[in-house]
Amino acid sequence: MDKHSSRRPPVISIGILALISLACLFSEVIMTKDPSYLDLYNCNVAPNSEFLFGTDTLGRDIFSMIWYGGRISLFIGLLSTLISTVIAVVFGALSGMAPKWLDDILMRFTEILLSVPSLLLIVLLQAIFGDAGTLSIAVVIGLTGWISIAKIVRTEVRQLSGSRYIIASRCMGGSFFHILWRHLTPNFFPTIMFMIVMNIRSAIVAESTLSFMGIGLPIEVISWGSMLSLAQRAMLTGSYWIIVIPGVFLVLTIFCMTEIGNYLRKTSGRRASNL
Amino acid sequence: MNANKSARKKRKYKDKALYYLKKLALFVISVFVLSIIVFWLSRLTPGDPLMAYYGERASQMGEAERAHALTRLGLDQPTLTQYIYWLKNAFEGDFGISYKYKQPVLSVIAGRLLNTALLGGISFVLMFILALLLGIFCIWHEDRLADKILCKVGTIISCIPEFWLSLVLILVFAVILHIAPSSGAYTIGHSGDVADRIRHLILPLIAVILSHLWYYTYMIRNKLAEEVREDYVLLAKAKGLSRRDIMFKHCIRGILPAYFSIMAISIPHVVGGTYIVEMLFSYPGIGTLSYEAAQLHDYNMLMVLCIITGVVVIFFNILSQIINERIDPRIKAREKTEEIYESLGENGGVING
Amino acid sequence: MPNLLKVNDLSVSFFSPQGELEAVRNVSFSLNEGETLALVGESGCGKSVLCKSLMGLLHSGAVIKNGEILLQGKDLVKMSESELCNLRGSEIAMVFQDPMTSLNPTLTIEKQVAEAVRIHNPGLSKAEIHDRVIQLLESVGIGQASELCKLYPASFSGGMRQRVVIAIALAGNPKILLADEPTTALDVTIQAQILDVLKDVQKKLGLSIILVSHDLGVVAKIADRVAIMYAGKIVEIGMADEVYYDPRHPYTWGLLRTLPALSDGKHELYTIPGAPPTGINLPKGDAFAPRNPFALPIDFEKEPPMFRISDTHYAATWLLDKGAPDISLNSLDSIVSKQEAMMQHKSGKKTVRDENILEVEHLSHRFKIRRGVYVNAVKDVSFNIKAGEIFGLVGESGSGKSTVASCIMNIYYPLKGSVRFKGIDIFNPKEASKNKDILKTKRQLIFQDSSSSLNQRMTIEDIISEPMVINRIKPERGSMKAEAEYQMKYVGLDASYAKRYPPELSGGQRQRVAIARAVSMDAELLVADEPVASLDASIQAQVINLFRHLRDEHGCAILFIAHDLAMVKYLCDRVGVMYRGKLVEIGDTAEVFNNPQHEYTKSLLAAIPKPDPRSERQKEIHIYRGETHECE
Repeated sequence: MDKHSSRRPPVISIGILALISLACLFSEVIMTKDPSYLDLYNCNVAPNSEFLFGTDTLGRDIFSMIWYGGRISLFIGLLSTLISTVIAVVFGALSGMAPKWLDDILMRFTEILLSVPSLLLIVLLQAIFGDAGTLSIAVVIGLTGWISIAKIVRTEVRQLSGSRYIIASRCMGGSFFHILWRHLTPNFFPTIMFMIVMNIRSAIVAESTLSFMGIGLPIEVISWGSMLSLAQRAMLTGSYWIIVIPGVFLVLTIFCMTEIGNYLRKTSGRRASNL
Repeated sequence: MNANKSARKKRKYKDKALYYLKKLALFVISVFVLSIIVFWLSRLTPGDPLMAYYGERASQMGEAERAHALTRLGLDQPTLTQYIYWLKNAFEGDFGISYKYKQPVLSVIAGRLLNTALLGGISFVLMFILALLLGIFCIWHEDRLADKILCKVGTIISCIPEFWLSLVLILVFAVILHIAPSSGAYTIGHSGDVADRIRHLILPLIAVILSHLWYYTYMIRNKLAEEVREDYVLLAKAKGLSRRDIMFKHCIRGILPAYFSIMAISIPHVVGGTYIVEMLFSYPGIGTLSYEAAQLHDYNMLMVLCIITGVVVIFFNILSQIINERIDPRIKAREKTEEIYESLGENGGVING
Repeated sequence: MPNLLKVNDLSVSFFSPQGELEAVRNVSFSLNEGETLALVGESGCGKSVLCKSLMGLLHSGAVIKNGEILLQGKDLVKMSESELCNLRGSEIAMVFQDPMTSLNPTLTIEKQVAEAVRIHNPGLSKAEIHDRVIQLLESVGIGQASELCKLYPASFSGGMRQRVVIAIALAGNPKILLADEPTTALDVTIQAQILDVLKDVQKKLGLSIILVSHDLGVVAKIADRVAIMYAGKIVEIGMADEVYYDPRHPYTWGLLRTLPALSDGKHELYTIPGAPPTGINLPKGDAFAPRNPFALPIDFEKEPPMFRISDTHYAATWLLDKGAPDISLNSLDSIVSKQEAMMQHKSGKKTVRDENILEVEHLSHRFKIRRGVYVNAVKDVSFNIKAGEIFGLVGESGSGKSTVASCIMNIYYPLKGSVRFKGIDIFNPKEASKNKDILKTKRQLIFQDSSSSLNQRMTIEDIISEPMVINRIKPERGSMKAEAEYQMKYVGLDASYAKRYPPELSGGQRQRVAIARAVSMDAELLVADEPVASLDASIQAQVINLFRHLRDEHGCAILFIAHDLAMVKYLCDRVGVMYRGKLVEIGDTAEVFNNPQHEYTKSLLAAIPKPDPRSERQKEIHIYRGETHECE
């Protein structure tokens, strides 16, 4: 007897995420200062009525930077997800439909790629691309982030192509594209949606980690990650807001995305525990 | 009959040997392919390769000396020849000279390996014990308040990027509260002091463990949740077994192979995680080293670091395959059956009644 | 005889977002020492839930709303979990439906039985426990127990595992054994053996058994008393002979009449109209009233009480009220024969034509088990099917019948042999591609499990019109929608389902959709692989009737693959019997069933339990043990 757990959409998370995204998109309207202006008279100012979230070690207004930088962070997340999802779906579908020997080779190949810590892979790739810019970092993150998604796609394709309705469709003479379009894609959709959301999330984390380490975006290009790259200097002066505020936005955004992703993941009515 | 039996035994050992040989071959081929990828990537990177070997001296070389050096190192050859050359040197333990440390790469790494192994090893063991305990706790209270709260808290913590978690830990415990040291592996001059080492390890350990713990707790929770829905749990209950006995004598057994294999494939994530944490706490390990190498374009160093971590990860990947294919009692059961069949003198399939 | 167990007014509900699901409603019955009580009903009638509640095995979503379960005077409902734990296995033990999943795959048989022994006899030494384990296994008919007990469940067949499960249940010397569909997942010959084991241990140990089953044949074999359940209620209860030979509730009549074994020679199976309710928002009055052809006005208003027929026989229907019209089983039979006459009138013509639509010659196929080891799943099978003929292929699980179907549908490429469909050699790539359109449209496949054979994310309309879309056929009736609706009406589905998705439909409805999809192409051969195996008896009859109509009106041939011999006997013109990959007997249905030649066919026919307690009680079973699968 399956019990359909009542699954309400995560309204609060969607709301918060929408709010943050909109504010970043229309950051010009919200910003109170020029986010890249170095106000050298007001370095390390704690949050007050003029600088709502305070200023950083270079004297930039954190409140304005949050929205302006968020736009870049979200953009990198979206672009790199687009790149990695496309690669992952093509590779995964290929491997999933391929004969067993080819599938084995492709899977071993992904395992080797996964064995290099992605951080190092990114560093090498970044070195090849030359100077880091918004676009290049998105590409690099996209190029390194597709492997685990490709594996999920492959498993999904393998499972689906063994299902009875696909056998039935083949018997009726359904072509490869008919099966892909009518049967595989609709059944895929929830999984893909979940993966896309999770991928945006990990791309944003990757960007912020890289920029923080100083191998991603330079300080002049404002993003949530590059804002945090000043953190170690802020630590010395005890300016907690430089660390805490961009971080809280980062964590909040990621949490909302996780909640939405978990909701999208298909959880068919689970049986109750036997224990 | 007896001769037959020994022949079968022989065949079984042969099969086993063949299996492990295959896995070994897989390992060697994987490492080989990995080295090709890494080598190719590192040659694509910009910068003067002579710098990597001779450091600052390369810029002072004359034309003729340069050409001579290039020929001597084989750098004027096509990439494939270079790779073979590199491979040959690598077999002799020569991976080139670190740009920053002006020493052979291997000797630089050797001094740091232990530190990383210590941090990575301890956090790995603690993390998996905690993940198992938390997973069991969650399923024990599945869908009740304790489970729900724990899951929510876990989701939030797992959303915190590792570097920011480390930053906050340093900010709170080192800068504000002054409870723990914020950097290094030991206080200078106290390298042999165990208590001092532990004090320096606490914050990095917390950072590594917290940022990975929940991911694995969820995995174990999901596996266990499937396991307690198996029909055999109902039968065990009908036998009169208590909940505790069912959980610990039946269900945990069922997920152990999966648990070990999750542990084995989690290595790259944990390794990657320690790298970031090491860097933040200025902990003298491989991670800090690779961060320096990346910033200073020390590609010889970077390549070796990639290969070392890659080898570790590939090894554990194959280990997890072996666990899945061999250690799983369901598979052992099948082997055992064949054995008994052979001794009963029947053939094929299952025992019919 | 003292009452061992007494259930009074028990109600169990589940709470789901759709509302309260009343699984068991005000059930009362008692169980005497040493007797076998059968709970019979279709899926979802609450029989399993009732059974689990007797052992406190309900999961956390279920709530016992009221009532008491008195075991020798103590109320189980009020007991704590630890008290129940002490009781399980030592007072009441249970045997579950699927022996393939109910044993722990990671422990040896010995450990699993020993565990049960140890719980109930804590003082025993290791050697004593071992002896007891062997003794238990031998008592359920496992020979060479001391050798076999070291094995893991994976190496046991379903029948052997079920014996182990029974041994585990007996470990604590229980007084009551609950058997929840203990033979449903097993082949018919194995089923007979397991029922014998149950009867045997009951006699030896003086057990009381509660047997839960949907199969009136199985129940006839071992039950002393029978309770019929519908929508969470017991609607009729009585001694087996009373219920089988003098049924009083219209639902019992329906159940007995839908069984193909009892409708010998009839052209049409009686079907109970509609489908059983789900337990959420049950209709007012008698829950069976909407499906009851004899429903009285009061049935829709007020639930009937239990009317007493004899000291042991009770039934809950208003037909037994003093003022009710005189209606009995004969009234149902007259309805059936009226329907029969109508159908006869409609289709009196002979449908089988004298041309082969399918010729299977020397078909062999094998599967790889390990490197160098193959099992011959199909070995040298030859038969043909005439146009408009229903050919039945029967055999137990693993006999290779589904593999034959897959070869015919070009899903597997066989090792040897040929298959000709309308004269086309389907394994000849040149010929097959030349006649691609015929192969794609005139030959259609229907699977057993309709829930996985329909894409859950397509509407019913899209599913039915899929073959037309694939083959770019212009719909005769204007649009795809009209075409789909026409087909839906044809198979007896309401056109309002067109925009729904498969999960919203019941199993029988989904199977109708699969059939509609197959016939929309004017198929000349339907390959139906166990098409009714997963359906309830009353729904099975509806689908079987539909197959008959298809043949009679459409003239299409059907390859009907089944393990249920009664169904085959009723439906098919000719039948082939498969055993371990070989076709051991083939012939006209009447001939094969009345005068079987092969030993296996004989034992198979003998093993079918018939809903006739008097003859079932005397029957002896002989099991055919032929050669095993050939391995290479």
